[in-house]
Amino acid sequence: MTLASPQFLWALLVLPLLWWLSQPPKPHREVLTPHMQQWQLAMRALRRRPPRGSWLRFVLLAMATIGATIAASQPFVERQPGPTRLVVLLDVSASMAAESGGVSAFEQAKQKLLAQFAQLPEHVEVTVLRCGGELRRRHGSAARALQDLGEPAGALHADLSGLARQAADEDCVVWTLTDGQGMQQLPSVGALTRLDTRGGNAAIDAVRIVDAWPLKALQLEVDMVAYPADGSDDRVSVELQVLGATTNEQRYSCWLRSGVMLTRTVELQRDKLGGELVIQLIMAGDRLPADHRFVLTLPPLPAPRIAALAESDASNFAGVAAATLAEEVGGEVVANTSDASVGMLLVDGGLVPLLGDDGRVVKRRALTFGTRLADSVDAEVWRSPSPLDWSRSSPLTVGLDLSELRIDRAWRGILPAGEPFLWQQDGDQRVPLGVLVDGGATASMHLAFRLQDSNLPLLAAFPQLLRRAFVRSYGEAATSIVSPTGAPASERNLSAPAVGEDRALPEFAVAEQGLAQWFVLAGLLALALRAFVR
Amino acid sequence: MRHKLTLPTTPELFPKQFRALLPALLATRGNIDAGRIEQLRARRSVLSQSGTFVGHRRYERGDDLRHLDWSAYARTGEFFTKQLQEDDRRAITVVVDLSPSMLAGTPPRRLGALRLAAVLGGLALARVDGVSIVAPGASSANARFTGTAQLPQLLEHLKQLPTAFVPPSSAVALALQAESVGRVHWVSDFAPVQEFSRPLLMLRRRGAKVAGWIATVPEDEAAPAGGYLRVVDPETRAELSVPVDRDLHDELRRQLVLLERQQRRMFAEAGSPLWRWDPGDFEHPRLADYLPIVAACTR
Repeated sequence: MTLASPQFLWALLVLPLLWWLSQPPKPHREVLTPHMQQWQLAMRALRRRPPRGSWLRFVLLAMATIGATIAASQPFVERQPGPTRLVVLLDVSASMAAESGGVSAFEQAKQKLLAQFAQLPEHVEVTVLRCGGELRRRHGSAARALQDLGEPAGALHADLSGLARQAADEDCVVWTLTDGQGMQQLPSVGALTRLDTRGGNAAIDAVRIVDAWPLKALQLEVDMVAYPADGSDDRVSVELQVLGATTNEQRYSCWLRSGVMLTRTVELQRDKLGGELVIQLIMAGDRLPADHRFVLTLPPLPAPRIAALAESDASNFAGVAAATLAEEVGGEVVANTSDASVGMLLVDGGLVPLLGDDGRVVKRRALTFGTRLADSVDAEVWRSPSPLDWSRSSPLTVGLDLSELRIDRAWRGILPAGEPFLWQQDGDQRVPLGVLVDGGATASMHLAFRLQDSNLPLLAAFPQLLRRAFVRSYGEAATSIVSPTGAPASERNLSAPAVGEDRALPEFAVAEQGLAQWFVLAGLLALALRAFVR
Repeated sequence: MRHKLTLPTTPELFPKQFRALLPALLATRGNIDAGRIEQLRARRSVLSQSGTFVGHRRYERGDDLRHLDWSAYARTGEFFTKQLQEDDRRAITVVVDLSPSMLAGTPPRRLGALRLAAVLGGLALARVDGVSIVAPGASSANARFTGTAQLPQLLEHLKQLPTAFVPPSSAVALALQAESVGRVHWVSDFAPVQEFSRPLLMLRRRGAKVAGWIATVPEDEAAPAGGYLRVVDPETRAELSVPVDRDLHDELRRQLVLLERQQRRMFAEAGSPLWRWDPGDFEHPRLADYLPIVAACTR
């Protein structure tokens, strides 16, 4: 302990004065008595005590005085040399999710960090670098609290050895916490804590989906890979399970050669109600559960009610088209009544008020053929528009062959604004004959000719076009299956981590610490005790 | 921390005024109780056959007629008995408390106690065969005096008595060792009471007739008027610093009254009288102040 202002110690000379002042006053005279007992009884009866000096009271007063004097002298403990900064390189790559006894290596690393941070002096600056997956940096109190470091994911792209070498200096200590997976060698600089994730692992690399929406059929292509715990090339027995939102849950057992990818195709029938479809690869002794499980969220299948409207003089093409569409999508054709609730409206000719005041289509999930969408629309007859062409990139017509399409009569000016997918090529200009009005969650398709005025119903592409129009009218719902990404390949093999010995953290610098407040506290405590001592 | 205790010096014990007062005091008439007369007479018949003439004393009923001094009768017309040295069995015993607690009081109680012992001894010398002064702690703890002629020796003996702390039980044991006990006059402050009750009962059990004497001092009735005092028990050296105010003054007076009651009860339970004697003015003693002693002895 060192005193910054030792001159204040002169104040201790006040102690003899305090001793003198603490003495009780001397009696004025002395009286001899044989009746001491009676004096004591009289004092006791009056609940009086004789004034007297107390060594303990003086000692407590002296302690308070000494405490105040030393506090005024500003005592402090001198600074001890050592590093004042700590940089933590925390491996949060996907392999750190490997579990041991139900606790992941990442959780173990966090517990070690929190325990060490609790013992660190306050003045030590702490920086935590999340290495692996998304790089994150936390500093100060956020670092000490390990705030928002995320979960193990991604590959370890950072070179921990290089980082440790660059960051370490006399004032800075680097502490690396890693499992050594995907590394050639462990850092040779600074403290090192190695977390054991060695073991077997089975992983699903990718899942490709072939969706027949709105039909039930769903085809999955699953890429699987496995590594035995001992790192040998032996084959490993795994079981692929497809569970959840399917009418036929499936389990396939197979043998995988160590590190060799195997693709398995699974044919499924989707549950109408949709839900989670779980694809998991089960292997005995799998330490990394995070990469052997895929969960697909399947939207519910539509059960559309399709209504068909046609002009009275028209042929029955609309009804046939509705029946064809219902067969394609598993729906039903409902009667066209005023109170009917329908999921898809198919209109052939005539007038259906689908346009709002602003001229935009307000009621979607409709497929119209030569239909006027508002009273105000003036239709002009358009005889045999040719040559015809179609979009090769539109989701409606991609891959379809409409080269044999012939249109006897169409109407100009009845199509709303939208994305053309069928048009008449007029020089460089394209005059739309069919448009897609995209509203995001829903859409509608409009053609400028009636079915009976063309040979479209006779084309082989017609049912496909109907189904695509239906799918497109359901907008995003039809494409909502999100396939999660798998763990990176470098984080799958847990059998050969880089090896090395753990190294402890060195002693950190001890900051200069003032002790004045403790002496003040001791003095106050002595005074408080003195109040209770007689 | 105990302070050094300075004991007060006792002023002149027997000044000329007192010595001048004694003959008149002893000349008063009356018999004093000397204890178990019948028993003593039987013993005297054996023991008083011979002895050395040491003086005269007035004839009292029951004295052996063979010791009548007829020559003195011829000269004075009054009967006198010749006293022999071995014929002092009709005596009284005066037990004097020499403890430091007797130094308390203004003037010290010891002064009154020794004058009281002198008067009692003088009366015994004048009217019975002798007096034994039992003063435990003194070099001559049990001194026997016979005849009026030894009155100066008695006074000198009392004057030379030191201050010594001896427990009451030791004083009683010493008194009981004497061949003739007679009536025991115990001069003390009898405080604290509990230290005296057992010795007093022991005296009674051994057949002694006891009379207690307290030479009172003003401090027996009340505390000093006021001020910040250090009260010291000279016997135990226990001390107490006390600011004396009206409340304490009254309370101490109440306690002293209680003490007096306890002392009376103690003697009453032992079947003995307790006399409280106020010495009056020490420097100018008056006969009237001492007559109560004579009255108490002859009662």
